Amino acid sequence: MAFEPSQEEMAEMQKLSNDYEPEVTGPLVSELLPSSAITTEYANADPVYQRKTAALPHKYSHYRTCRGDGHCGWRAVAFSYYEALYNTGNKSKFYSEEARLRSLGNLLNQVGFPEHLYEDFAIEAFQLLQETAVAMENNDGGAKLLAAFNDESLSMSIITYLKLLTSAYIQTHPDEYSPYMNHGQSVQNYCQSSIEPVMSEIEHVGMSALVEVLVKPAGMAMEILYLDRSQGEEVNTYRWDPVDGTGITVSDPSTLRLLYRPGHYDILYKMEPLPQSAIAQPQQQPPVFVALANAIDSHIPQTIGFSDYAIPGLSFVSPPSLGWSSMTTSTPLYPSAQSPCYDFAPTATPIAAIPAPAPSSNLVSMPQHHANSSGSSAEVGSHVHTHGHSEIHADLNAHGSTHTHALAHSQSHSSHPHTTTYAHTPATMALPPDFLVSGMQPEIPQTPPVGLSLGTPSGLAIDRGGPFRPSAWELKPNFSAAGLGGVPLQTAIFRNSHYNTAHFNNPDFQPEEWSPETELPVHERPRKKSAH
Amino acid sequence: MATAGANKRIAKELNEITREPPSGMKVRLVDESNVHKWEIIMDGPASSPYEGGHFKLLLTLPIEYPFKPPILSFQTKIYHPNVSNDDKGSMCLGMLRSDEWKPPNKILAVLNMARNLLVEPNAEDAIETSIAEQYRGDRKAFEKTAKEWTKKYANAK
Repeated sequence: MAFEPSQEEMAEMQKLSNDYEPEVTGPLVSELLPSSAITTEYANADPVYQRKTAALPHKYSHYRTCRGDGHCGWRAVAFSYYEALYNTGNKSKFYSEEARLRSLGNLLNQVGFPEHLYEDFAIEAFQLLQETAVAMENNDGGAKLLAAFNDESLSMSIITYLKLLTSAYIQTHPDEYSPYMNHGQSVQNYCQSSIEPVMSEIEHVGMSALVEVLVKPAGMAMEILYLDRSQGEEVNTYRWDPVDGTGITVSDPSTLRLLYRPGHYDILYKMEPLPQSAIAQPQQQPPVFVALANAIDSHIPQTIGFSDYAIPGLSFVSPPSLGWSSMTTSTPLYPSAQSPCYDFAPTATPIAAIPAPAPSSNLVSMPQHHANSSGSSAEVGSHVHTHGHSEIHADLNAHGSTHTHALAHSQSHSSHPHTTTYAHTPATMALPPDFLVSGMQPEIPQTPPVGLSLGTPSGLAIDRGGPFRPSAWELKPNFSAAGLGGVPLQTAIFRNSHYNTAHFNNPDFQPEEWSPETELPVHERPRKKSAH
Repeated sequence: MATAGANKRIAKELNEITREPPSGMKVRLVDESNVHKWEIIMDGPASSPYEGGHFKLLLTLPIEYPFKPPILSFQTKIYHPNVSNDDKGSMCLGMLRSDEWKPPNKILAVLNMARNLLVEPNAEDAIETSIAEQYRGDRKAFEKTAKEWTKKYANAK
């Protein structure tokens, strides 16, 4: 029979094992290091790691190591939270965060942490907020934070405070977290055994709660990049986004990034802010208007490009062109597709240029619009020409001469939801960009750019000298390039501007279907109409 | 700075405990200049085999306190399943374990736990397994020995 240790010996070995603490070295939180060091570190590892770490430095330029002493996850979150506050460059953010954290004392009391148990730790956390805010004036907040987090006691105090917050958050949200408990363990029990003890490293449940209680309410996002042996060319990313008071995801938040390797967390840095803004912008219409006053913004060439044309056309000279552009954009509202164009066509340069969508395609695309469009199109259909046009004209003229936005807005609003949008848009053109942004925002549906792909094909095809089917994305750069050098009232401009589904006159996005068969007839029709 | 923070907390706790000492305990510093070593005289709780004894305990607060647990040892020999029967007399269970220690725990809580263990030993988590065995199997014999040791080592009258 094999050697069996006695119970005492087993106990002794267990004790030795429990008491064993691996030698850990390195700073608690390191200086910023180039993340290519991670690649080097894994150069001899297995291919999955090699691939993933090779891709890492392209996106994430720097990182900080955290000492692997069993607190690295907590410490990484804590440090990057403070650092993100510091990086906002806004001193008051520290004070508002302190006020918010102080108010969380209620949460702690609620789950039975009396103040005297946590105050020592909380005070350290608050003090560091204050001190960093002060250090910000001297521009040495970064050094201050690094020093503070490398002070074991201070860093542990903050970690302890965060653990208590996390524990309190989990215990006050049992419905959210009890599904993650093993074997029906209660959330209280989980917190007592896996969150609060000093030697418990953060787990996913804890991380999620900590993000909810600390990171998201501060208006920050959290990303964890998992570097493990799973399939794929890049690290897997898990992201939490903050939401504002109304439940809408905050756009372009500062983001804390952690690199997770099984059992260990480090802090990762991406060079901000380019990717963030690039992602956020196309979804928002307001910036389009802001851009009117300025030069081209390469992020959203299609809209900007159009604006460049549109400004001179709309706000300076020819009312016909105005009318044209507003009418054509509203075209799809009316079942009789050809009609809107013909009044204005003569003034609006070459007729062939004016693309009138084929009736069929209009009908097809209609259900995709705004809910209103189908309903109102029927009603409005009959008095389109008279009413719709004149009103728009009136508005436009007024805008030329200091009609207020608000007036135009309400006026047109009262009659038709649709003409409203179109009519007031030119109005806003004349106004300062910031006004536009605030004024327009509620009005314009935040339509994602998915519907962009198709436009009126005829004009375009001619323009480009070939009947290939353009996607909006493909088209825009071309378009904006042409616009830069061109004279504002050229054929191409009108075609293109009309075509542009991200057109400010076209808040509903009117994706039209291009079918080769209808191309010719569509062409012919406006020609005839306008001729007579 | 590390020690400053810890010292502040220790001083505060010491202040609290000396102002309102827990019943049946006397607490003082071993050496007035060192707040990390406390001497506790604990009276054996009534209706326990330790009744009448005065047990001297040494509470050592590590430099990392409160982020590492205090170390509690009986300097007076005691017959108890949770106290090691050697010259260390260490008591290490529950909240005193380094993997279960929580920084918000206070020394007062540690002392109360020790006192409760004298009333009701925890045989499931014993360091002296043979004493625990006896405690579970032959309570009379256990109490007899415990009383003898108390009389012999803890100045019971």
